[in-house]
Amino acid sequence: MEDSFFKLDRLVMQFGGLTAVSQFSMELQPGELVGLIGPNGAGKTTVFNMIAGFLIPTSGRVIWQGEDVTPLPAQAITARGIARTFQNIRLFTDMSVLENVMVSLHHRIRAHFWQAMFGLPAYRREEQRIREQAMNTLQELGLAHLSEEKAGSLAYGQQRRLEIARALATQPRLLLLDEPAAGMNPQETRELAQLVRELRSRYELTVFLIEHDMKFVMGLCERMKVLDYGVTIAEGTPREMQSHPEVIKAYLGEPKHA
Amino acid sequence: MKVQATFMDRKNWKRLFSLAGVVLLFGVLYLFDRYGSLYQVRILNNMAIFIILAVSYNLVNGICGQLHLGPNAFITIGAYTSALLSMSPAEKQMSFMIEPLIWPFTVLQAPFLVSLLAGGVVATIFAFLISFPVFRVRGDYLAIVTLGFGEVIRVLCNALQGLTNGPMGLKGLLPYTNLWWSWGVAVFTVFVTTSLVNSSYGRAMKAIREDEIAAKAMGVDPFRQLLLAFLVSAFFSGVAGGLLAHLITTISPTLFTFFLTFNLLIIIVVGGLGSTTGAVIGAMLFTWGGEALRVVESPLHLGFVTIPGVPGMRMVLFSVILMVVIIFARNGIMGRREFSWDGLAGMMRLGRRG
Amino acid sequence: MTWTIFLQQMINGISLGSLYGLVAIGYTMVYGILRLINFAHGDLLMVAAYAAILGSVTFSLPWFVSFPLAVLATGLMGILLDRAAYKPLRNAPRISLLISAIGASFLLENLALVIIGGVPKGFGRPEVFDKVISFMGLRIQVLTIYTPVVTLVLLLGLMYIIYRTRVGIAMRAASKDFETTRLMGINLDRIIAITFLLGSTLAAAGGIMWAMKYPQVNPFMGVIPGLKAFIAAVLGGIGNVAGAVVGGFLLGLGEVVIVALVPQLAQYRDAIAFVILILLLLFRPTGIMGEPVTDKI
Repeated sequence: MEDSFFKLDRLVMQFGGLTAVSQFSMELQPGELVGLIGPNGAGKTTVFNMIAGFLIPTSGRVIWQGEDVTPLPAQAITARGIARTFQNIRLFTDMSVLENVMVSLHHRIRAHFWQAMFGLPAYRREEQRIREQAMNTLQELGLAHLSEEKAGSLAYGQQRRLEIARALATQPRLLLLDEPAAGMNPQETRELAQLVRELRSRYELTVFLIEHDMKFVMGLCERMKVLDYGVTIAEGTPREMQSHPEVIKAYLGEPKHA
Repeated sequence: MKVQATFMDRKNWKRLFSLAGVVLLFGVLYLFDRYGSLYQVRILNNMAIFIILAVSYNLVNGICGQLHLGPNAFITIGAYTSALLSMSPAEKQMSFMIEPLIWPFTVLQAPFLVSLLAGGVVATIFAFLISFPVFRVRGDYLAIVTLGFGEVIRVLCNALQGLTNGPMGLKGLLPYTNLWWSWGVAVFTVFVTTSLVNSSYGRAMKAIREDEIAAKAMGVDPFRQLLLAFLVSAFFSGVAGGLLAHLITTISPTLFTFFLTFNLLIIIVVGGLGSTTGAVIGAMLFTWGGEALRVVESPLHLGFVTIPGVPGMRMVLFSVILMVVIIFARNGIMGRREFSWDGLAGMMRLGRRG
Repeated sequence: MTWTIFLQQMINGISLGSLYGLVAIGYTMVYGILRLINFAHGDLLMVAAYAAILGSVTFSLPWFVSFPLAVLATGLMGILLDRAAYKPLRNAPRISLLISAIGASFLLENLALVIIGGVPKGFGRPEVFDKVISFMGLRIQVLTIYTPVVTLVLLLGLMYIIYRTRVGIAMRAASKDFETTRLMGINLDRIIAITFLLGSTLAAAGGIMWAMKYPQVNPFMGVIPGLKAFIAAVLGGIGNVAGAVVGGFLLGLGEVVIVALVPQLAQYRDAIAFVILILLLLFRPTGIMGEPVTDKI
């Protein structure tokens, strides 16, 4: 098959008569940190949903580590090493912070359900291992002291970090972050950018993120693609995007002539 | 590593307490078995069976958060399977008057334990078969499909005379069910269910309940987890059906209608949807309360005044209770909390301080 | 099977189908706006039948007075049902609503059992409906013809309300987008009450015609027809009124024709509908005329 690490080949998403995403193509190399920006409703999350297995593209392919993963459901995509966060936080609010992260480790469990049902030692060892690994991830994200709190009771910034923590816990090679800085103040945004950089190097991740906040993206991404009405209108380095006429038009609209 | 050692110690104490609790339970059961009236023993047997049913029902409805309205189907399947296997060939020949029983049931006979297990296994097989259409949908549709399945099984039991003896049902079953069987299975069910719920599998199920989309994104395969819950639930429902059959010694299709499902629903809602402890408490209240409320249905003699009993009033009261609970106290008694020795100790400490 | 028998069964099927359709409309309208399966809807058949008996027997009213009164009373009962069982749960999780619906259904049934008793009552069919027509070798009860006719008239009335009145516009808007409709200043509680009123009166009409067809009235008579009507609504596309009628006819015809063709299946009559449902949900959950609903992620 293809030898690509990550490749999106002319993805198209149509809902009835509406084309949400049109001919979206891109490639990622291991370790890159790439951004996807564009005005609201441009189709960015739709692209993520197609990659992550929540939508089946009308046409086009998603190639991951040499495999065509286009038709696979979300849990299969996660098992293959692509993790995502959600634009609207989707934590398991009634469960504890620790439990939220432990769920992410379930699909790699090395014990059978009947061992769990009877509380056999083989299972208890796995449970212990999962617990420790989850705690480590929480420590990385500075949330360890909140491990027993209900996820729904956390402050907004902490919830956003927990979103990232549990995506990280699935042990991905590619991390999709959907507007991770949404609703954050400038201080938190700076810290988050720093965190993403650190996580990328420590875990050898490739990061593909969607964002609105230009400052966040500018300082962080190595290159970017810009989407408007489902169509790629520009790509390049952040610097290039800042002065690109199409990008400016998409965000600010046409200048009105007298 | 001092922290590790203390942690282990506490765990062991808790296990000891739990074991002591079970021993105490069986001690009490022994007393009832020896000295209690037939009436009391019957209620206790009923209670145990409803505990098994409620705890396994709660696994799907409470832990996984899916509204499954067909547990009566699996109870029926377990009851009939168990009955057909425990009856002797001679008895079966006598019972099946309108249409003879099909082979191989005519020649099969098995000891009680085997018939119970078979009841559970056959129910599980049916659950597996129906799981594909059931879990393709969610919410209201899942409710209706499972309800429909319950109805289909009821119709089949009425119609397949050669297998179930139709509306006449099966009579004269030997009363194998005693306090040891019923409560033994109940304790086992609670143990297995609690272990499962507290495990990673339980967490995955709760994650599906909280937010299925997020659960999928974290690698949880909803179908596999829901299937697991569904099959375990069906197994215990089937076994409970077998226990029930050999308690009342007569089974017929009218015993296992949606009415039974409704009762289970009340039990787990009042007890707390999502709590195994709640299911146990609910089952106990229901069995005891159901008996206590019989008072309402028979004439009440108060000296020289007699209030006539009203049949059917119990169900009216139960319906009202269900609605009141779901509207005003939807978390029921336990909500999603479980019994724990820590919790009990906490409550006692509060009491002392108070 | 001869041509005449086939025709006879077709007419029976259409008649039965129109009853299912009448009841199915109520289900689909309530589901369209509230996304709720009103389990207690089928029991309104029973309420209407008993109300008619109350009027005709206890108050000795002529049928053309007691029947409409019973329909009205049942319509109001529908509103009461919403107020008591569903309105308090407007913002609750869906599972709570479903449980409340089941509770309401059982309450109605057992309340009827307590008040009226379990012995089936005979429904006095007015003589005017007792006639039997013969033509082309067929013997058909006049009632069997009247049923689809009445259904059609009621349906036209409903269509008029939904498509030509302001209330109807509001109802359609609410079923498309509940939140936005509320934001537009429309009194949703009133719209919901009207929806329940309309759906319940149609079910009541169906209930009375059902009782005339099968004159044994008991507290649980609405259970199975109610479930089948719900299946009809799903078959036609839940939320779609025209679909509910189409689904009703298909289910009624299907039930009658299958049993006529294969008499051995008569005892499985009820199960047939559920098998249809399971197959439907497997292969085409949106029904014949429904639109797929997607989750926004």
